Amino acid sequence: MTGASALLPALLALPLIGAILVMLLPKEEPGLARGVSLGVSIATLALSLVILGLYDTKIASMQMVFDKEWIPGLGARFKLGIDGISIFMVLLTTFLMPIILLSSYKAVTSKVREFCALLLILEVGMLGAFLALDLFLFYVFWEIMLIPMYLLIGIWGGQKRIYASIKFVIYTMAGSLLMLVAIFYLYAQYGSVTGEYTLELSLLNRLVLPRDVQMYCFAAFALAFAIKVPLFPLHTWLPDAHVQAPTAGSVVLAGVLLKFGIYGFLRFAMPLFPYGAAELAPYMAYLAAAGIVYGAFVAFAQSDVKKLVAYSSVSHLGFCMIGIFAMNTQGIEGSIYAMISHGLTTSGLFLAIGVVYERRHTREMSEYGGIWKQMPVFAGLFLICMLGSVGLPGLSGFVGEFLTIFGMFISGGTAGEPSFWAEFMPHPMLLGAVATSGVIFGAIYLLYMFQKMMFGPLDNPKNKELKDVSWREIAVFTPLVIGIFAMGLFPKPFLQTMDPTVDQFVTRFEAKLAEPDGPAHIMGQAAVAPTPEPAQVEPHAGHNHAPGEAAH
Amino acid sequence: MSHPELFCPEFALLLGALLSFACAAIGTKARTAWLVSLAAAIITVGTSALALPYQGHPFATDIYAVDSFSQVLKLGISLALAFAIAISQRQDSTRASARTEVHFFFYLSALGMMMLVSATELLTLYIALELSAYGLYILAALHRRERLGSEAAAKYILFGAAASAISLYGISLIYGAAQTTYIPAIAASGGSPLLIAGVVLTLAGVLYKLAAFPVHSWAPDTYQGAPHEASTFLATASKVAAVGLLLRVLSMAGGNTEHLRTMLIVVAILSMSVGNLSALFQKDFKRLLGFSAVAHAGYLLLGLLSFSKLGAAAAIFYVLTYVPIVVCAFLVVAAVSHNGANPSIASLAGLYKRSPFLGLVLLVAMFGLAGIPPTPGLAGKWFLFSAVIDAGHLWLVLVAAVNATISLYYYLLVVKAAYLDPPGEYPDIKLSPTYSITAFVSVALVVFMGFYPAPIWSMASSAAAVLF
Repeated sequence: MTGASALLPALLALPLIGAILVMLLPKEEPGLARGVSLGVSIATLALSLVILGLYDTKIASMQMVFDKEWIPGLGARFKLGIDGISIFMVLLTTFLMPIILLSSYKAVTSKVREFCALLLILEVGMLGAFLALDLFLFYVFWEIMLIPMYLLIGIWGGQKRIYASIKFVIYTMAGSLLMLVAIFYLYAQYGSVTGEYTLELSLLNRLVLPRDVQMYCFAAFALAFAIKVPLFPLHTWLPDAHVQAPTAGSVVLAGVLLKFGIYGFLRFAMPLFPYGAAELAPYMAYLAAAGIVYGAFVAFAQSDVKKLVAYSSVSHLGFCMIGIFAMNTQGIEGSIYAMISHGLTTSGLFLAIGVVYERRHTREMSEYGGIWKQMPVFAGLFLICMLGSVGLPGLSGFVGEFLTIFGMFISGGTAGEPSFWAEFMPHPMLLGAVATSGVIFGAIYLLYMFQKMMFGPLDNPKNKELKDVSWREIAVFTPLVIGIFAMGLFPKPFLQTMDPTVDQFVTRFEAKLAEPDGPAHIMGQAAVAPTPEPAQVEPHAGHNHAPGEAAH
Repeated sequence: MSHPELFCPEFALLLGALLSFACAAIGTKARTAWLVSLAAAIITVGTSALALPYQGHPFATDIYAVDSFSQVLKLGISLALAFAIAISQRQDSTRASARTEVHFFFYLSALGMMMLVSATELLTLYIALELSAYGLYILAALHRRERLGSEAAAKYILFGAAASAISLYGISLIYGAAQTTYIPAIAASGGSPLLIAGVVLTLAGVLYKLAAFPVHSWAPDTYQGAPHEASTFLATASKVAAVGLLLRVLSMAGGNTEHLRTMLIVVAILSMSVGNLSALFQKDFKRLLGFSAVAHAGYLLLGLLSFSKLGAAAAIFYVLTYVPIVVCAFLVVAAVSHNGANPSIASLAGLYKRSPFLGLVLLVAMFGLAGIPPTPGLAGKWFLFSAVIDAGHLWLVLVAAVNATISLYYYLLVVKAAYLDPPGEYPDIKLSPTYSITAFVSVALVVFMGFYPAPIWSMASSAAAVLF
């Protein structure tokens, strides 16, 4: 696989080169910047499809791994790889990016060059964070994403954009703080157990920490990712950021950035600290269920349609959280499915809001009404995205939500074979029932929104001059609509691709969970039989193997 | 002097000092003097780079060590000098009558700093410390607005003199305890309580140079009141020299580091917290950078208080990458400054429209200080934090990480002014070719070190290997 291993770095290099190229274009020709960046993003999409083509759906572990020494003193490697979870995240990112660029042709007219370049840099950051298999590398990409997002909200955002952009950055950074400390702890523990220092994920995954420490470390990671999800009650940054961001920013935020929360749990927090995850799972699940209901109720109370959709994300991502903490193949696959579906449908909703906002410059639902007659094509597209988000069977949202709830219901195992998870998740039925109610609430507020905006009498004179969507706008919605239908009607290929990886995830989680408690040790080498190198290394002996050594 | 070639970076500086003194004595135009000293500074950088692998003792006795520790720091000092002199092209914050003479003091001070990082004997060290300080005392006073300059210099000198006196007292205690002034011999003498007391007192003078709590309060005033190029030099070269000096002084404690470590932990926490919390409320950009320098002194101390090779390497790495980052910040100060006035944060409004490149330079500087990639600020903090963890203080990392987040807020406020606020009445800025090149070099250095920190790290760890 030597040839294929160059594909992942190429996937990062392409938008990066594109961004540099766009910045070098003349300032006076915004059209050129748009064209080049759109071309680059489509090329990136094509490359990601090539990666999908070469991806072997029967292999569970990382594929096309690119591994190079990077900062030897730190034990950090430039290691990228793709598996059945990250491939969908990568595809979602590359799929949405051309749509975002195309959608902002009219909405963004000032500093177009900078806008396009920032979006491409953001794409590099997002793809890198999905592909990174080294904690330092992940952290670097995780932080790189902040800068373009900060500027996107801050420069092209709405009235309170500066407040919202700074709140966004501070929340994310403050959330990552404890994670950073936990990473250092893990790093030091691995070093003192094995004598070598590394930040490479596959090696760190083999380290089993004492159970109480796992709880702290998991909590530290969970805080960082729960803010991103956002898990109730850590969601307060989201409505501000969404409402103030330009349409493109909202789409990136809802479509991709929120997924880092769930992805972070799956990739880092749960495999690294399974016992911590298991002990805290009920609390995470309760919060997720609370978020599903709370998000739905608050969404229903909004008069600003963008805020409504923003709160709907809080509700929808709650399903994803329920799914991963069901800890079975159904739940986790459902969670990944729901993430992709949410990426498509919510992006569609934000784009639809963008379409009417560009025409009327208001987001108050009461200002609209009866738009259906004026913009029939738009109404159809909007309807599909909305119903996809509601979770109508046959559309994408249904499969994911169904699987997550189903996964939670059976998380205790079936009558014949009880699952290991039963002892950790006390009330799966209750949680499943609450989540199911969220599906109904979701239908209520989304249908209410649609009814208020699209049906009823066309009595606002300003709405009588609305023009239907242009060809460009249809081109923006078409891929989303196709995606929503495809995922709703043919879930099998998607699920088959995830199967091996998700199965392996659950098996490994269970195996690591079963490791005996005790001092930190490498999996399978528990301290029962005293090893020649004891876990408590003297501080001086530790220095002999300090990370700096590797530099020589 | 048995091996004169070992002394070549210092010779290059001496040459620069003589040339700029000659310019002043003849009374050339300020512009000619600047060109001459810039050329000499670039030669110094080249010489220092060539001298990197040199090792040995240039004098018969080992009062002066040339090793990879001293040579790496000398390269940092010479880079800082060259950047400061490049920035002094636009001397509009310097008193008009002193514009020809000013470079001589840069060279003198840099010479002191280079000797400081090589000195392995207490009296040599003290003389070097004073030599490096005198030039800076004068530079700090040369602001064209005399009141501002005098205040800056007065604070700097008074604090400096007091700190220096305490240091001297500490040195006398060390001599009393160890009966020798040679640092390696003192380190081997086994850290008696009296010796540790002496080291603690000596630290006063050193922490003053680093601008760490409790001898930090000169930094914001002096950064604000000194001419821009002098502030640049003070903020960069002085920090590099201070790290070298600190490592040497701390090495005298031998193995007996317990109390020193406790003290340094307190100093580090207070430096970070006082620096960051005070910076939150600043309106003057240079003053903000002054408080940020106090906070960064705290971060640097994290590496030093680990008393390990890893910690020393982390501190050296951090300070080496800190130089181009701070240069970026001060370059913006000097370029935005109108008639030598200090730019307020508000006056950075819309900077990226007024000069897109300068906006980028400011962005790199602020993200570098905040530790956001693709700058080496993040890798630097990782190295420091992992050294602290290695020394067994997980909670200290938490304190430092909280501080890093606090600092993010005020760095973001600067970025906000430059990128999100409209330019209003502020004029466009045209960069001179020198400024463009300087900005390009420093930004390129920062970004390169950010993406590929390995070479700098291996330099830093080979330097640290000399001491541990």
